[in-house]
Amino acid sequence: MTYPSSSPKVRIEFVALLAACALFLSTVEYLIPKPVPFMRIGLANLPLIIGLGLLTKREYILLALLKVLGQGLITGTIFSYIILFSIAGTFASTLLMYIVYRFFKQWVSLIGVSIAGAMASNVAQLTLSQYLLFGAAAKLIAPPFLVVGLISSIILGVFAQQFEQNSAWYRSLREGSL
Amino acid sequence: MKKIRLGDIIIFLLSLVLIGASFGSYGKLSGKPEVRVQAEGREWVYDLSVNTTASFSGPVGTTSIEIHDGKVHVLASDCRNKVCIAAGWISSAGEWIICLPNNVFIRIEGSIEPQAGGVDDISF
Repeated sequence: MTYPSSSPKVRIEFVALLAACALFLSTVEYLIPKPVPFMRIGLANLPLIIGLGLLTKREYILLALLKVLGQGLITGTIFSYIILFSIAGTFASTLLMYIVYRFFKQWVSLIGVSIAGAMASNVAQLTLSQYLLFGAAAKLIAPPFLVVGLISSIILGVFAQQFEQNSAWYRSLREGSL
Repeated sequence: MKKIRLGDIIIFLLSLVLIGASFGSYGKLSGKPEVRVQAEGREWVYDLSVNTTASFSGPVGTTSIEIHDGKVHVLASDCRNKVCIAAGWISSAGEWIICLPNNVFIRIEGSIEPQAGGVDDISF
């Protein structure tokens, strides 16, 4: 097992800490003007990328759920249809990131994980928008979304990779000494 | 970055392929002009440079179109007002003819190029 064996109470606090981090990053992201509201940079995905190496599967799903709820709360979209895009994007990306990290860890760094997650999120949201919003015209907005997703996910991935390599906090968590 | 691995490059390249494929949705708008006809709940595509005639059935009867010398018009229609026939010939991308009673929509798609001596796109 690659995750530490701390007590359940410490572990749930740790999930809460990462979720709070996602909430804060959602707020930061909300401040940045964007051409369309659901074109996101994905800052709030950073805790999800970093959490990959620290959490169990169940904790990871809990974190994804908290991120969706927190983001909906921050952006005020929790009771609108936009939350469906958030759910689709977050769960598609967490699923793919978890699979890539779990089974291809030797060959992929967090940069690749981040790109895969961003692509999964964008494809899921574009597919959903095809049925909910735009119909066949959804494919016309695909290129800018995917390009923005690729660039921002590379930046996030580099950050996450650096964090994983250099953070003493992260290392001590991995070793289970917190 | 010292930690970039093979899998990262593969994922990156796959993403580029995905993005490239997504740009394909723009590509259709350029190239040879083609006549697109929506009728009977489907869409037909005709080459504007090939002379032909075609008929489409709708709620009030049959609408026939003719493509001739790079132009298209409605030859005959069973509708009441014959607005579609009165619309005459169209030949450049972006132009369209509609027969509303019979649910037939004819349009020309392709890259819109300014024609010498033509009407300006903006100040019509």
